[in-house]
This record gives sequence, C-alpha cells and structure tokens, in this order.
Amino acid sequence: MKDEKLRQRRLVYYKEDIDQIDKLLDEFIKLSGSVAIFLIDKDGHLVTQKGTAPSIHPETLSALVAGSFAATKEMARMLGESEFSVMFHQGKKENIHISLVGERAMTATVFDTQTTAGMVNLYSKELMTKLEVIFNIASKREAKEHSLQSGYSDSVKDKLEDMFKE
Amino acid sequence: MQINYAKKEVSCKLVYYGPGMSGKTTNLEVVHQKVPDHNKGEMTSIATEGDRTLFFDFLPLDLGKIRGMTTKFQLYTVPGQVYYASTRKLVLQGSDGVIFVADSNADKIEENIESLKDLENNLKEYGVKIDELPVVIQWNKRDLPNALPVEELEKAINWLNAATTEAVAATGEGVLPTLKLAASLILERLNSKEPGAPTSAKAKVAEPKEKKEVYVANINADKISRSYFNQYCQIQYRLATKSNDVEDFKKFSTEEKKKLLDSLINYVLLLQDSKARGIQADKDHVETQVKSFGRKFKSQEELDDYLGRRRLTLDNLRNEATRNVIIGMVIKNVLPNIDQRLKISSKEVAEYYESHKGAYGDKTYDQVKSSVVGRIKATRKKELLQEFFMKLREKSTIEIFDSNI
Repeated sequence: MKDEKLRQRRLVYYKEDIDQIDKLLDEFIKLSGSVAIFLIDKDGHLVTQKGTAPSIHPETLSALVAGSFAATKEMARMLGESEFSVMFHQGKKENIHISLVGERAMTATVFDTQTTAGMVNLYSKELMTKLEVIFNIASKREAKEHSLQSGYSDSVKDKLEDMFKE
Repeated sequence: MQINYAKKEVSCKLVYYGPGMSGKTTNLEVVHQKVPDHNKGEMTSIATEGDRTLFFDFLPLDLGKIRGMTTKFQLYTVPGQVYYASTRKLVLQGSDGVIFVADSNADKIEENIESLKDLENNLKEYGVKIDELPVVIQWNKRDLPNALPVEELEKAINWLNAATTEAVAATGEGVLPTLKLAASLILERLNSKEPGAPTSAKAKVAEPKEKKEVYVANINADKISRSYFNQYCQIQYRLATKSNDVEDFKKFSTEEKKKLLDSLINYVLLLQDSKARGIQADKDHVETQVKSFGRKFKSQEELDDYLGRRRLTLDNLRNEATRNVIIGMVIKNVLPNIDQRLKISSKEVAEYYESHKGAYGDKTYDQVKSSVVGRIKATRKKELLQEFFMKLREKSTIEIFDSNI
C-alpha cells in the first residue's frame, strides 16, 4: 500500500524508461509528419518532449492540456463514459491532438498542414499501445530508493531565499 | 511531484485555494511581479469576462539547477466561487502542497470555513488526508478596517493547526514569505521517504507581523493604517488620472492627501453606519453600475486597456460602485426628506437660466432646459452628500494623526 501511495503521489521517471520513450516519440514524429509531441502526466507535469514548436511554452502547455483533459473527463462521465481517450483541437494552420496513455499520462501532438488528422490519429494509436507497455513495466518495477543528493532540500531553500529577497 | 532522472528535473505542484475574492490570483500576480525574469514563465489565466478565475491561473517557476537537478514549482490557483466546485477539484489533482488564502474580513468567516472544508473533502476524493499534505494558511487582507484579529481567525478556522502567515496581497506584503514557507514544507517532505509523514506545523515566519503598523486615523472603533490609506490614495489616483504613470500618486501634496483622507473617513463612516443598520449593497445593483461604467468604452478591449494601464481591476470598480450603492441606501435614512429635496421646480430652472444666460450663448431656454436641470441636480446632490456626511460625523469620534500621513 505504501509503495502504491508513493507511486501515486510522487512520479519518478528513470533514464532507461525515458530513453525508450524518446526513441518512440522520435519515430512517431517522422512517421506521422507532426511538428512536435509532448508527454505530459495527469497532474500537469511535462515528462518529455520531441520535435520543435518554438511558440509553445512546454510547462504552460502541459498545465493546460492536463486541465482540459480533466475537464473533458467530467463531460465523459455525464455520458456514462469513464473518459474520452482522444481530443482534437483544429486551427487554421496548426492543430493539437491529445491522446490518453494508460491511467497516468497523455500526449499532446502539434501538427500543421504537412500531415492530416487521420495520419496523426493512426500513428498515435500505435504509439499509445507501445507507451502503455513501457509504463506498465515501469510501474511494476520495485520503486528504487530515490537518490536526490543529500542536502538537496536545503539547497533549494537557500535558492528560494535568494530569489525572493525583497 | 515529478522526479525525472532522465531530464534531471524535480517538478512540484502548489495550489492556492480559498473562498472567492480572497486574493488567490492577486498572490500569483505578486509572485509574477517580484520573481526575476529568468526564474519565471508566463502567467496564464483562464478567467471569465469579469476577470474572475474560471478554471485556473498558472505560473511556472524555474529555480535553475540545484545539486544537479533542475527544480521547478508549478503554481496554480483555483476558482473560489462555490459553484465552480468541480473545476476546483480538477486543479487539485496531484498537488504537493496547498496555500489556503483566507479573507480576514469579519463578514467572510463562514466562507473561509466552507472553503477549507471543501478542500478537505476534495483531497479525500483523491485519497489524500489533509493533515498529510503541507498546508499553509495565509491570513490575507490584514489591512481591512474590519479585519478580525489573528487569534480569532486561528480559533475559528485553523482547526488543522496549519502553519500560518499574514499578508496584504494587494500591496504585495507577505506574499513571498507565504510561498517560501509552503515551498520549504514541501521540500521537507522530500527528505522523509514516506510521502504521508505529517508536516511540521506552526512554523510561523517572522515576517511581516513584526512590522509595527502606523495609523493615520481612528474612526469610532476602527483604525485606518497608513498602508491601507496609501493603497486607497493609489486606487483613487488611478481611477481619476488621465496619465499612464500609475506611480504619480506619490507626488500628492499633503493637502491633497488630507482631502483623500477626508473622503476615506467618509467611506468608513458610511460602512459603519450601513453595518449598524444592517444595510448591504445589492450585488446586481453593483454590477449594473459597473456595467454602466464599462459602456463608456467602445469595446471590451478598450476597457481592458484602460484598466490594464492603470493597474486597476474590475474589483476596484466594484468597490467604487458598492460605495455609491450604499450611499444611495443609507442617505434615505439619514436625510429622510431627500426625494423631496431633489425635486427641482421650474422656477428654479428659470432663475438659473437667467443668471447664467451668458454661458448658453444664443440657445433658447427650451434647448438648454434639461442640461440646466442636470446642473442644478448635481449641485444639489453634492450639497446633500456634504450634509449627509456631516450628520454621520456629528455622532462619531474621529481622531486624525496628520503627522503620520
């Protein structure tokens, strides 16, 4: 139970997982012809990103995507669905395709006129299946002792002190 | 919280919670203002037309690399109004800590309690016990004339025994100390391996309670602090000025400041009197007044631009409107024959026209009649208001400390 709680509340991503994920995302961008893809956890933290969308601030996008996904979930509930697994926002030139990855995360794909929503949807379905496998393996792995350097918290406090000097 | 060893990054989520209008968004705005540019991202607000938070406000802070880990705090606010319950819950998901912004206003105590209970329930739905999460309660709006003493607030609201701070978010006072305290409580949890360990409560910050408050006036039982007075001057200046330099108010002469203090005293007297009579401004009435002000502008953008340049919010307009509405309601009690006295006879109009004929050029009496009536009415209203405030002052004890202005 304690481990479960820890995993629920403190999301830890290790390098070996992210390396695998990054590879998949790179491949996805090439195949689907998208501009960029962001992997975001449900609490609104950015996990990793591939491709370049200079106008997008990744942290803000993550917060907005997680927020709108949560809101959509409430809409789904009204229809008796547990959630909607895909969301699509269409613009004049650029579009965002959002897709749920298992229980904990989602991807936001930015694409333009170089490709179509159908292509993005097609490849993202495949990507979701692969990502879910990685997530499942990662979540079953024994939680490692987290190895933030000793004194990390105190150093952050010092930094805050410094930053907030009035 | 996310610890990402691949990106070498730690990311914490901190949520400002509290009843409507308690100052959550203001807190975030102050943080945005005060934090150095390279440490912050853009502030994003999903707000209604009336500038109330609809979904959330968001501000990412980046502390840079600390012991090899890029450290980030994502700050969120929730909408305070009771009817946004479901969006409030969504924003709370995965939060690592909460700053509960409480309104010190004596009339808001029930709303504070209700909101804190709402927080407790929403956390429970995510399987989190409130006493397992770092919570800091900020007693905000300490400068209000009717702010409850902290001891009373503690007794009524802080059943969690949470750490507390005092603040006047509108002037920026106490905002950063609150954030610092919440952040350090979250970080202390990082040290403990089990995330559910109880937080060390009651870690009070020394700032800003040690600051000695200077008062500019005592009005019956209420005191006006200098910081509140300065804020009042600033807002009055911004409301009246055509200049874009919002700091101009600092150039006020002592005479001008004395005049403003007079008007603030009138305002406090009005509030005291209306409270004693149990008179409250009707919210719809206030909104109508605010809207009629908004209609002076060609478009919403123009109004936003006007407010933005002066760093005013719709709430500032609402306060002004509330005062006008309350005056309208109280004045009838103090000057009972007011309706009669506002009536203007045609004889008066004719007399005024005769004595000011020069100013109207070659326009006929009929052409200018309505504008003459308007003028007389305005003068009459001004006289009546003066009389009204004189009456309020007659029965009050007012002390003014000129040297503190």
